[in-house]
Amino acid sequence: MAGYEVPRKFPTTVVGSYPKIPPAMDLIKKRRSGDLTEEEFRKLIKEPISEAVKDQIEAGIDIISDGEQSREDMVVYFAERVQGYRPGDWVRIFDNVYFRKPIIVGELRWIREMIVEDWIYATSISMGRPVKGIITGPYTMMEWSFDLKYGDRRELIIELAKIIRKEIDELVARGARYIQVDEPALSTRPWREEAELLKEALDVIFKGLDAKRIVHICYGRLEKIIPYILDYPVDQFDLELKNSNFRLLPYLKEYGYDKELGYGVVDVHSLQIETVEEIKGYIDMLMKMDFIAPEKVYVDPDCGLKRLPRSVAKAKMKNLAEAAKLARREW
Amino acid sequence: MKIWGMILGGFPRSRYARYALRDRERGVTPFAEDVEAIDRASAQIIGAQLAAGFPVVVDGMIDWHDIFRPFVDAWRNTTVDGLLRYFDNNFFYRIPVFTGEPDPREYVLPRRILRFKEIADPASLKAVLPGPVSFAYMSKNNSGLSNEELAEKIAYILRDEARKAIDSGASLIQIDEPFLADIDATRDHARLAAELVDKIVEGVEDKSIVSIYFNIPESSVFEELLNTRAKYIMIDVVDAPIRAESLVKNIGFGDHTPVLGAIDSRRIIDDKPSFVENFLKAIESSVDEVVVTTSTWLDLIPFRYALRKVYVLGRIVEELAGRNGYDLYSIWR
Repeated sequence: MAGYEVPRKFPTTVVGSYPKIPPAMDLIKKRRSGDLTEEEFRKLIKEPISEAVKDQIEAGIDIISDGEQSREDMVVYFAERVQGYRPGDWVRIFDNVYFRKPIIVGELRWIREMIVEDWIYATSISMGRPVKGIITGPYTMMEWSFDLKYGDRRELIIELAKIIRKEIDELVARGARYIQVDEPALSTRPWREEAELLKEALDVIFKGLDAKRIVHICYGRLEKIIPYILDYPVDQFDLELKNSNFRLLPYLKEYGYDKELGYGVVDVHSLQIETVEEIKGYIDMLMKMDFIAPEKVYVDPDCGLKRLPRSVAKAKMKNLAEAAKLARREW
Repeated sequence: MKIWGMILGGFPRSRYARYALRDRERGVTPFAEDVEAIDRASAQIIGAQLAAGFPVVVDGMIDWHDIFRPFVDAWRNTTVDGLLRYFDNNFFYRIPVFTGEPDPREYVLPRRILRFKEIADPASLKAVLPGPVSFAYMSKNNSGLSNEELAEKIAYILRDEARKAIDSGASLIQIDEPFLADIDATRDHARLAAELVDKIVEGVEDKSIVSIYFNIPESSVFEELLNTRAKYIMIDVVDAPIRAESLVKNIGFGDHTPVLGAIDSRRIIDDKPSFVENFLKAIESSVDEVVVTTSTWLDLIPFRYALRKVYVLGRIVEELAGRNGYDLYSIWR
């Protein structure tokens, strides 16, 4: 990426989602109700994307995202754009909050680009910073959808993987160099068979791909799943660590972890803003464990920042970037 | 063999129940209107179970945000914290926080039983309680008590809940211990659970169920749990059917009446009678009664599919009873 050099040590990044910036939610609702066409939506959503990109640049993040301003939800967004899905009914996530769990009713097929346009736009205003191409993974799409068509999880996950690969190919053809597949559902079922199922799908997604291959996993029994995923065909695991009090680190060391690490150092469920000193301390702690080089550590939040107020999200990113700067001088 | 069907636990909220709870949270409707809306939705749920021919029904607990919350709200020295994933579901519960010894300000179940028992007639109502081990180990314990001590304190309150529920007209007490199916659950957890369940159901053992779902417990955990005096033991045979079959065939249910969670509560596809029949065949020679139920609560699927599952369960139980000469049981004794 011309004009911006990603630091060699402790580059900073984000997991992807950012608080919805008005009028993003209104636009999503209007697009769904038919008050806006997809074309009109794409045009108008650029303003929130531009604000999300601006915040990340001002905070000092090196590898940014489009803030996922177009996405109501990490599963529904894609289900609405893949043939074979139909909208689902409301299923509760917590309290009185719901999502419309989509239903697979036909053969799944890629029919159009889903995230490419937002990525292109974010890249055009990123002042040279690389923009991650971020897509929900096949395991999470499968687990968080109802299946009335396939009835065979292996067949289904491979079909989803092919669709994701097609989208990633479109991104890479446009110049994307960082591809992240989000798999939050994996850690909820930390068993070997489940990990092997995803590995097969990731082989489809990443085989021969000319870009950095990242898988994001969060919230669950990560320490139980780690032994089964170390041979995944990826360059980097991006992991939630702060929320679970970094309990995963000794396991990574014990298992001889040798990939890059997306090092989650700020809690995205807490309004408390971690100080620069705290975050620097987390980086120091990792370095003192002496199993990974600074060049392989990407400092980022635990997960997407979407549930935080914008001011808190930005402050967390800013402190994270400051801490990484300090760490670069020391390590 | 006697066979009957039953829904395990809570239901999803109908559209109008969602709106009623949303309006309650926003404070835009008087309390009585919310209660009426919840009662109407609960009546719909109870009616579906009556139509399916179940002798025991649940009210659906549609106003419970999660299994712990109504109890946390009703006790002193408890509050809730952030969200935590509820086992392997895309559903989150608010973590109960114990800041001291829990102390009931009011009881949760008796009012519910009194409120719904006439609607449930001629069936009888089941009261559902969170298990003390799941409660204690899935909470933040800042009480100064050990987790075991906390679980015991919780059990004493739940014992009072159970007695008052029975006095109010409940026919069955169900104690949910999903934590025992977790990969971190040990034989010690199961031993504690069995001891505490026995305290809760003392005097009403023949009207009590312990339920474990979302996974099949380890053999050692299940064997330990079989020491409970609760009459019925429920397991989820859907999530891992091969391990479930092995558990059923190799360990069995001891002196307990099996409750088979054989109707998939987390998927919307219609269940096949043959799947249920396979499990019935595995136990029919060793038991004289079996209950077929849903694999967990129905609140992880949309409302319309939950109603469909009630119908499917009723139909399958009836079909298998007819085909195999089982004694279909539809009126509570």
